[in-house]
Amino acid sequence: MKKIIIGILFSASIVSCSQNNGSSAKDLQTSARETNDQNVKQPLPEESIFQLKDSFETQDAKPFTLAMLQGKPTVIGMIFTHCTYACPRLTADIQHIAKTLKEDKDKVNFVLVSFDAARDTAARLKEFADLMHLDKNWILLHGNEEAVRTLSVLLGVQFEKDANGDFSHSNLVSLLDKQGVFQYQKEGLEADHAETINRLKKLMAQK
Amino acid sequence: MKFLLTTIIVTVFFGGIFAQQKTVTSVKKMAVIPGGMYEPFFITKANKPLRVASFKMDETAVTNAEFLEFIKQNPQWRRSKVNRLFADSNYLRHWQSDTVIGIAHKNIYNSPVVNVSWFAAQAYCKWVGKRLPTVAEWEFAGNGKPQNIKYKSLTDFILEWYRKPNPPILPNVKSTYKNQYNLYDMHGLVWEWTFNFNSFISKGDSRGSTEDEQKAFCAAGSLDVKDRSDYAGFLRFSYRGSLKGNYCIANLGFRCAKDLK
Repeated sequence: MKKIIIGILFSASIVSCSQNNGSSAKDLQTSARETNDQNVKQPLPEESIFQLKDSFETQDAKPFTLAMLQGKPTVIGMIFTHCTYACPRLTADIQHIAKTLKEDKDKVNFVLVSFDAARDTAARLKEFADLMHLDKNWILLHGNEEAVRTLSVLLGVQFEKDANGDFSHSNLVSLLDKQGVFQYQKEGLEADHAETINRLKKLMAQK
Repeated sequence: MKFLLTTIIVTVFFGGIFAQQKTVTSVKKMAVIPGGMYEPFFITKANKPLRVASFKMDETAVTNAEFLEFIKQNPQWRRSKVNRLFADSNYLRHWQSDTVIGIAHKNIYNSPVVNVSWFAAQAYCKWVGKRLPTVAEWEFAGNGKPQNIKYKSLTDFILEWYRKPNPPILPNVKSTYKNQYNLYDMHGLVWEWTFNFNSFISKGDSRGSTEDEQKAFCAAGSLDVKDRSDYAGFLRFSYRGSLKGNYCIANLGFRCAKDLK
């Protein structure tokens, strides 16, 4: 009888252990995040887009969260690499912004996030980066559909996948400050980015 | 000693039962929607009819009572704690407080929760192991024929509802009609969030020239809508296109969906 009782207790404790394990794994994740956050200088403001916790992957197949952009202002656009018309132009527009800054371009993050969760793998993004001659200041990201959709909602970018696997999307270049707070946005291709550059310079000068 | 052990066993046993209670109350009846072809509302060169795979959908919109359960378990989504990036100041404004719907609002426990943002709806669906339906899924399901009401055309029925002002107290779920998929109130009670609500490519107000349009959008803009007489559909797509993710609106709720597996 005692054995049975002990047996029951034991299995009960396994059950509760596994439940605990579940929650402690979560705690670990949270604390890992917190440690990450501690590494950076300031806590993120509430309205920072870097609050988005989803994980993306870079063109070098490294995991990436938006909070890692903290410390420099960010110029960000959303594209997909199979796009033949708009996306290379949008990329070129951001390149133009980078060029205008000359050496100061090292003080800015240039980020492209892909709509195409299915086809834009890290390798494909790397190819695109090489093809477009994007330097080390550029971060190309892909992520799961939910992460990409959430970012598009935060940036006000509309997009829709069609039956061919291509995307209709608005062409927007967005500007975030060093803490990831949305600052400015310009719509259109080959748009006049004088104001974008003007604001970017101001953001660079901020502490 | 034996008494102690029994107490422990009983406690563990009932603890287990209570721990499961959460999942029991979160179980909501879902209807199976057999897949089929969905013709996108806007016709473009690339927008061919899409195949919608079979999926499951909550039979009603998520209610205030159900959402309260989520709020209690997820304090970061309480009215006083939520991040403005994820929900504007109208978030759950019809509730008495953070975790109290309120005596004055007794009748709304079983009414669709409204004044919830897309982010909050997303988080809720994720919490119950589901997701938001896509526009295609929602529209496909919403086109289901009404079963228990008299109507001439679904469009007229919907337009009749759109014409009415919002009732001061939102009726309970299942108060309108049931459709062929056993879904309640797809039209007639509240508007509902969809996963990709921001897929509507609005042309903007100032863009007249086709060149501008081509510059602004990757694919060509819409050439036409699939059915010009579907004014209700047009309104729905325009409404979605005007939303932002953190908007909380008094006639906008949601229901969750799930893959069929």
